[in-house]
Amino acid sequence: MGMEAIKSVGIDIGTSTTKLILSELRLGRVSSHFALPHFDIIDRKVTYESDIISTPMKNGDEIDLMALAGWLEQEYRRIGLSLSDIKSGAVIITGETAIKKNADALLHYLAERSGDFVVAIAGASLEGVLAGRGSGSSEYSKKVKGIVANIDIGGGTANVAFFQQGKVLDTITFHVGGRLIEIDSAGEVSAVSPSLQLWLFSKNFLVEKGMRLTLKQLSELSSVLCKDMLDCLVGKMPIAAVKSLVHSASSETLPMIDEVMISGGVGRLALEVPPSTLDDAAKYNDIGPILAGELIKALKNYPLSVVEAAQTSRATVIGAGMQTTKISGATISIAPEHLPLRNIPVVKMSYSDTALEQYIERFFLQGKELFHGNFEVPFAISLAEMPYLPYLKLKELAEVLGKVYTRLFPKAAVLVVVCENDMAKALGQALRLQLAADMDVICIDQVVVEHGDYIDIGEPLNDTMVPVVVKTLAFS
Amino acid sequence: MKTKITLLNKTYEFNSLKEILAKANEEKSGDQLAGIAANDAQERLAARHLLADLTLSDIRNNPVLPPEEDEVSRVIEESINEKIYQSIANWTVSDLRENLLAESTANQEISRIRRGLTSEMVAAAAKIMSNLDLIQAASKIEVVTQCNYPVGHKGTLAGRAQPNHPTDSIQGIRASLYEALSYGIGDAVIGINPVIDSAESVKQILQMTKEEIDRFQIPTQNCVLAHVTTQMRAIKNGAPSDLLFQSLAGTEAGNTAFGISVGLLDEANDLIQKEGTATGPNLWYFETGQGSELSSDAHHGIDQVTLEARCYGLAKKYKPFIVNTVVGFIGPEYLYNSKQVIRAGLEDHFMGKLQGIPMGVDVCYTNHMKADQNDMENLAVLLGSAGVNFLIGVPMADDCMLNYQSTSFHDIASVRRVLGLRPAPFFEKWLEKMGIMENGILTKRAGDPTLFI
Amino acid sequence: MQENEIEFIVQKVMEELQRKFPAETKTEQIAKTNEDGLIFTENDWKTSIPAAVYQEGVSDLIASTPARIGVWRTGTRPLTKTMLKLQFDHAAAIDAVGGEVLEKTLAEFDLFTVETCYENKETYLKRPDKGRMLTDNAVRTIKDKCTHHPQVQIVVSDGLSASAVETNLKDVYPALLDSLKINNLSAGTPFFVKGGRVACMDHIGEILEPQVLVLLIGERPGLVSASSMSAYMCYRPRKGVVESDRNVISNIHPLGTPPVEAGAHIGTVLKKMLEQKVSGVKLEL
Repeated sequence: MGMEAIKSVGIDIGTSTTKLILSELRLGRVSSHFALPHFDIIDRKVTYESDIISTPMKNGDEIDLMALAGWLEQEYRRIGLSLSDIKSGAVIITGETAIKKNADALLHYLAERSGDFVVAIAGASLEGVLAGRGSGSSEYSKKVKGIVANIDIGGGTANVAFFQQGKVLDTITFHVGGRLIEIDSAGEVSAVSPSLQLWLFSKNFLVEKGMRLTLKQLSELSSVLCKDMLDCLVGKMPIAAVKSLVHSASSETLPMIDEVMISGGVGRLALEVPPSTLDDAAKYNDIGPILAGELIKALKNYPLSVVEAAQTSRATVIGAGMQTTKISGATISIAPEHLPLRNIPVVKMSYSDTALEQYIERFFLQGKELFHGNFEVPFAISLAEMPYLPYLKLKELAEVLGKVYTRLFPKAAVLVVVCENDMAKALGQALRLQLAADMDVICIDQVVVEHGDYIDIGEPLNDTMVPVVVKTLAFS
Repeated sequence: MKTKITLLNKTYEFNSLKEILAKANEEKSGDQLAGIAANDAQERLAARHLLADLTLSDIRNNPVLPPEEDEVSRVIEESINEKIYQSIANWTVSDLRENLLAESTANQEISRIRRGLTSEMVAAAAKIMSNLDLIQAASKIEVVTQCNYPVGHKGTLAGRAQPNHPTDSIQGIRASLYEALSYGIGDAVIGINPVIDSAESVKQILQMTKEEIDRFQIPTQNCVLAHVTTQMRAIKNGAPSDLLFQSLAGTEAGNTAFGISVGLLDEANDLIQKEGTATGPNLWYFETGQGSELSSDAHHGIDQVTLEARCYGLAKKYKPFIVNTVVGFIGPEYLYNSKQVIRAGLEDHFMGKLQGIPMGVDVCYTNHMKADQNDMENLAVLLGSAGVNFLIGVPMADDCMLNYQSTSFHDIASVRRVLGLRPAPFFEKWLEKMGIMENGILTKRAGDPTLFI
Repeated sequence: MQENEIEFIVQKVMEELQRKFPAETKTEQIAKTNEDGLIFTENDWKTSIPAAVYQEGVSDLIASTPARIGVWRTGTRPLTKTMLKLQFDHAAAIDAVGGEVLEKTLAEFDLFTVETCYENKETYLKRPDKGRMLTDNAVRTIKDKCTHHPQVQIVVSDGLSASAVETNLKDVYPALLDSLKINNLSAGTPFFVKGGRVACMDHIGEILEPQVLVLLIGERPGLVSASSMSAYMCYRPRKGVVESDRNVISNIHPLGTPPVEAGAHIGTVLKKMLEQKVSGVKLEL
């Protein structure tokens, strides 16, 4: 099959900076010609990187939507692409920006105006994972024995993701960032982020707008900040002991790490010579360069080897642009007129050999209770950890799924099923033969989704496969 | 040329050299399938008596497939040194056999003789040699070649690590590779048969194996056994390949069925010389096997032993680093049982070595043949005694991708131990450095693939 | 807390564990014996590496491939269990080649039986050409019983593994019929060919002249599976068809290409053959 590459965009709107990348994801057959056709992304490459611009703000807590949209348009013009050329990608709002007043509206506004199947994503843990994928940590962890932590430090937060053999173990996010304290070249503090206040208070640091601090004082503060974060990361201090510094964590205890990679804007600064004067330090009007220098110094006190990241300031945007889209196909069942589908919540279930109907009904009722916004597609059913089903069992499963779904969701127009195993064509076909003609079936496979994830399914490529984005909020 | 013979009052007459060559063969189901085998045991011996008495010039002057009609014949014909040929042209096939086996004939002399031999003469000799003849004659011959590192020295036995995986999973391939290395296998080559014949997939596997070679500084070479055109595309896209691989047939038509020609091989040869990653000078890996010409109906009525010898004649043109016959892969319609497989393995090894080919053998069988693992162990030991350059190493001899059984990492280690053979010299030093081998014996650490994680 | 409450919680936890770590709980059942003798399951053949330098890494390596790695050794030889397991799998393969498909299996799907000229198992193995031709009797039978010029002709054959048919037909076949229905295709009269080779498709094509033919046939048994099936498909099969004119889905068994998924996919492939009027490498899938 002649495979064109899909163009995928990544847009990262951060606390201090915003950037965009365009990438090309090349699809190819990854199964032999004697096996069922299975396609996947076989090559990813960045084809365009925008400049890193300052995130346009209207005032302290509102992002300038019009300015951003204008910038986006200008970038697309420069690349010479129209919206319909862009087949996938993600817009992510990172760090403190995500808590700004209009973040949510902005995210969806941009996603819809960035291409056919560009999705909006947010959430500190996801951000950490994308940064780790973009920086090269995930790939690197496949080659080493131990656990690799990717610390992505931007303006507002430090997002840490733990990788082992390419798999995500946990994530944690700290209120550690270069722009949390803004200064000028005289050391005068022009702003202190509210998210740092609690920690400053707990440490008896007095930092307020208008105060003048010396380089030594700022260095000392940054040093303690780094020490607290690293102590927590290596398990010297429990998460509870540095609560004021922790934004969120996926678990109460963190895995033991062996190596670290530093990405993000601060990660880039860490590659430079640390500032020796206030003038030097304040070149971005914040403590970023000082924090970077102190972080490198502090790391020397820990038994961690520091590996250089392949990408620093663009790690997250590259992760968003290149690592969010998956491909399902080519033995699946789809109803093209219903695609794309966006933001479908996932109800995960397995299989029960006994009382299948009651088993399924229980999950469907849970789903009905949790998600009631969308009548046409209340949720997608994820079938995981399935045993191999012989034909008769598969047929029974299709009958029960169809029956219960039709009964509980009379207004639904589509039944969406996501299978972990290679069974979507057979199950989709059995469902199709079972359901009434006005109920469509979308059944895709070889995609792993968890309970509580959201899934986006794009328009079919070459009639036989679909791009899929899984927005994972929790990690096992 | 004599074509008629009377044995104890019974007269046998044959129409051609081709017929004599075919009927002189040990019993093979492939020759029977082609309808060219001897009708009974006595006719077989009649053909063999006649063949023993034919001169080498008889064989050259009566080509089984004329050079004008077949490019493989041309390659073989063009490789002959006329002076040396003239000095032995009057030898009978029997003389050739006895000369090879004479105490006074050593590697040096055999190296001279071979330049005057055609592949058909070599096949003729094999047909009148017993199994132990084939072992002893081959054991005199040393063929040392070098890709990145040399293999083939007397007293050594190398192994190809064949870490295949049913879906080409990079992690899966790597896991089997670690297992191979931990048993001291991988000195001949790290060679993977891919499931997916695409340049991207081939490139990925080459990159991974190269990374592992670099990471542990393993004195070996890498190769992915896809079709040569796929490898060429991968190399042009920057894939790091030490060796080029291709399966060969003994006729032009057989090669056409494989999708290759001498012209294509020449072109590939230029590419690997210019863009390969190895030191050299030997940059090819070929595989052959009795029966492949018949399976593509490209045998021209020639028997499978003679055709196999011609594969080596073709291979010689490209100065290969390693060649192996995949002796029992093709199925019972060509080699029915273990007796036939063992005979073919010894014939192929001898015929390759006599033509100066760095011969290894994939000692193997499929599950619909009358053979089992014991037969493979027998043949592996016989070949070890014959001085085979390398054997194939597959986890527990079971190739989960090609669905056949070969020899295991354990088997190669055992043949080495039983016969006092060593790995290739640089590889042995490396094994010592890694703590896997001491004085040619596996240490306590050996057999633990996690040494490489 | 009441005792039954505790019991309830323990049971819940156990259930949860069972769900999360099914493999681990299975290992507890190792080396069961009863009065009559040993009971072997998959786990009982497992061996382990004593004192691996990175013990945590062993299971990941083993899980990454079906190859028999991490098996350890005694001297340079494999451990007894590893060797017996290999021999056991080989035994299954040998039996699959020598076995026969049960009449009852064929009756379940209304398949009548015809034979090729294979004569017996030994000739079948030595003379693939004989497995490509139906006997005169068979030709008469199918001319008599089958719909001529069907859109889709389905044929089943034992090939090199009778157990492939026994294991997979019950899943592949009904899924295939469903896929014909979904794609609005109609099938002729199906039957079973004893002693068939792939190219018997050509002979059948000459006799019945279907638009497309699908042959479900037992593959040469491997050690991973002795019951693997292939589905060969061809547009207007006839004498002179070459290998590259056929499409195939191979390795069909419960641990390989899933039988129901393979069956479901066949209809799509056949439909494309009918649309493009071609099969094999030229078919765009």
